[in-house]
Amino acid sequence: MSGPILLTLLLLVPVQTPDPYELELARARVVQAAVDQVQPALVQIETVGGAQPVMDGPQGVREEGFRLADGPTTGVIVTNDGLILTSSFNFARNPSIITVTLADGRRLVAELLGRDEIRRLAVLKVEAESELPVPAWVPRDEMRVGQYAIACGRGIGLADNPPFISVGIISALDRRNGNAVQTDAKVSPINYGGPLLDIDGRILGILVPKAGSGGALAGAEWYDSGIGFAIYKRDIDEVFDRLVAGDVIEQGKIGIVLVPDDESLVPDFLKSFFPAARGVKIGNVMAGSPAKVADLREGDRVLSVDGQSVGDVEELLRRLSDRAAGESITLQIKRRWRTFDVTLTLVRADEIGSILEMPKPSNDDAPAEAESTAGA
Amino acid sequence: MIRCRFHLRQCLRPIFAHVHNSARLSVCLIVMLSCLLIGTRTAIAQPPEQSPLARSAKRNVAPNTTQRAFEAAAPAVVKLYGGGLGREHGYGTGTLVSADGKILTTLSLLTSRDRVRAVLADGRTFMARKMATDETRRLVLLKIDASDLPFLEMTDSTVLQPGSPVFALGNWFKVAEGREQVSVTRGTFSMRMLLDARRLAQDYDYRGDALLFDAITSNPGAPGGPLVDLNGNCVGILGRIVEARATLTRINYALPAEQLTDFIGGKVAERRENVASESAVQPYVGIRISRIGFRHVSPYVARVTRDSPADRAGIKRDDLVLMVGDRRISNARDYKEAIATTRPGDRVQFVIKRGDALIAVPVEIGVKP
Repeated sequence: MSGPILLTLLLLVPVQTPDPYELELARARVVQAAVDQVQPALVQIETVGGAQPVMDGPQGVREEGFRLADGPTTGVIVTNDGLILTSSFNFARNPSIITVTLADGRRLVAELLGRDEIRRLAVLKVEAESELPVPAWVPRDEMRVGQYAIACGRGIGLADNPPFISVGIISALDRRNGNAVQTDAKVSPINYGGPLLDIDGRILGILVPKAGSGGALAGAEWYDSGIGFAIYKRDIDEVFDRLVAGDVIEQGKIGIVLVPDDESLVPDFLKSFFPAARGVKIGNVMAGSPAKVADLREGDRVLSVDGQSVGDVEELLRRLSDRAAGESITLQIKRRWRTFDVTLTLVRADEIGSILEMPKPSNDDAPAEAESTAGA
Repeated sequence: MIRCRFHLRQCLRPIFAHVHNSARLSVCLIVMLSCLLIGTRTAIAQPPEQSPLARSAKRNVAPNTTQRAFEAAAPAVVKLYGGGLGREHGYGTGTLVSADGKILTTLSLLTSRDRVRAVLADGRTFMARKMATDETRRLVLLKIDASDLPFLEMTDSTVLQPGSPVFALGNWFKVAEGREQVSVTRGTFSMRMLLDARRLAQDYDYRGDALLFDAITSNPGAPGGPLVDLNGNCVGILGRIVEARATLTRINYALPAEQLTDFIGGKVAERRENVASESAVQPYVGIRISRIGFRHVSPYVARVTRDSPADRAGIKRDDLVLMVGDRRISNARDYKEAIATTRPGDRVQFVIKRGDALIAVPVEIGVKP
């Protein structure tokens, strides 16, 4: 006879609409509980010293107008023996001293082990006497677009302040060559290196500056814009052991300067008929670069990278953007009527001859656009 | 109430059927009571004669929490227009803080004129005159000649918890024209922290508490507007735009409301004493920080004067100064700025690095000989 009663209850309960005000308070409590979950594993990282770019001006050698990141920043403890994951954004100056303040207030000297300039990650090591707390992670297949995402950082305030939090949602998955989750929570130097959390306080990814054009300040250009990125655990795991071993993973370069697409005079509709018109044209080959060694020449066209065809400069740069120095790639090259493959080993940007050694472009007043000068 | 009676019948039937079973009876009674309660509430909230469509339509127009907070605060938010030049903007936001027309806003080129045009939420326009200024916090109190105005009372900002929703109101980018209402944005409150603006931006030496949240308010025209909580209570006033020198990024913050009541109440804060002019009481530690030419290098101790406060505290040559009090030190300039804020006789904790060890050293600031 309890059947009708249960049925009555089921019918009645859902029509109770919760008060929006109460919902807001509940939401605030849930957010706080999620942050509390991860807070013991959040550290504040401070750096001292390191190279500061200088410029030679009329008043002699002075500091560059902008300063590279040297504010406090955020890290996440990932092993209980003191390995800390953070963003490489904060180590562009190669600081001489790194200190880490744990959530319990202990301040320790940390050592920078390795960094990955492609994923923009860095691994630090501290020697703590006790076992350190380690947070939980969300597997990639449990993530859904639209779910809550909370960005946390300790890049502002003093060590005893609670973390900075920004609440948003997951905007997209598998961004930036498939290794980052995109969020509309506010991401800035305040929380680079910090975690992006789900509503249960588990980590979706590590927040990194992965936007804009690259370079020392890359990412700061898109800060607080509603477009932020966090690297998945899956992709961190791929390089973690190398970083712990002290590797520096840098973007690999070929040593070519590309001609912007709009300088190609072949109309789009003709490109499908003439294969020679496809691909990306090489403008210059830098001295002492892998491209020079492989005898690539001005005017050659890159048709594909490792078997995947490239349509324009943007696509070529994107395909090369997550290749590390030391890796090998195979380019399909079109020179006049001949098509052939070359295999090159990518090198670091500083291994390629200075830009001054490059033959001067014949067209002096060509606009110095990002594409036209972006070496690949 | 029709629905309610129906449930009663449903519930009463089992009672008569199992009158000897006391356990079941008590369960039935509880269920019956709760049915009564829920049924009555439901009946009041949604009369049964309403169609489901009408019900949902009604639910949509019910005020949401942002709207509730906005409507409580917006009548007291004022659009300001005045002088602008170059990068400084000739518009801004003010907050009415008394019924007789006191308007709180930030000091800028906008308010540099004697008279500023103030447009109230109801569209009325007044010329406001300057009543008082707080040079340190760069605040200004304007006054318009009106009475019985809606205003916001300063509420203790400690009601905010990390995760609490906050709302900022203002006329950023001069979007609201004429009689249009100001804009509202929603964010999540993070924390109250010490903002040391001098370390971040050159022209604003505010050093004090700040409320930090994730709504983007560091926009032209926003400073001077209120930060309100869920109930529409003013918990802070948006501060001047502060850009971090280190990262070239802006901070979104508000000055805590409870710290502004003194200024609103007529107690004009004293002008900050000019430390440099009082050469007799210049603070002294006795350390020279290494510097190479114009370049700021890591703040290693290059020399310690014998019998100086630093010497007595045990600071040695080649120590690296990391912190002075709660200020982080990156170079000689930071060090100089940190010492300038101390007074002779203060006991300030230095954090230094010697070898691999971090040592906290209390230093008693002396007087320059």
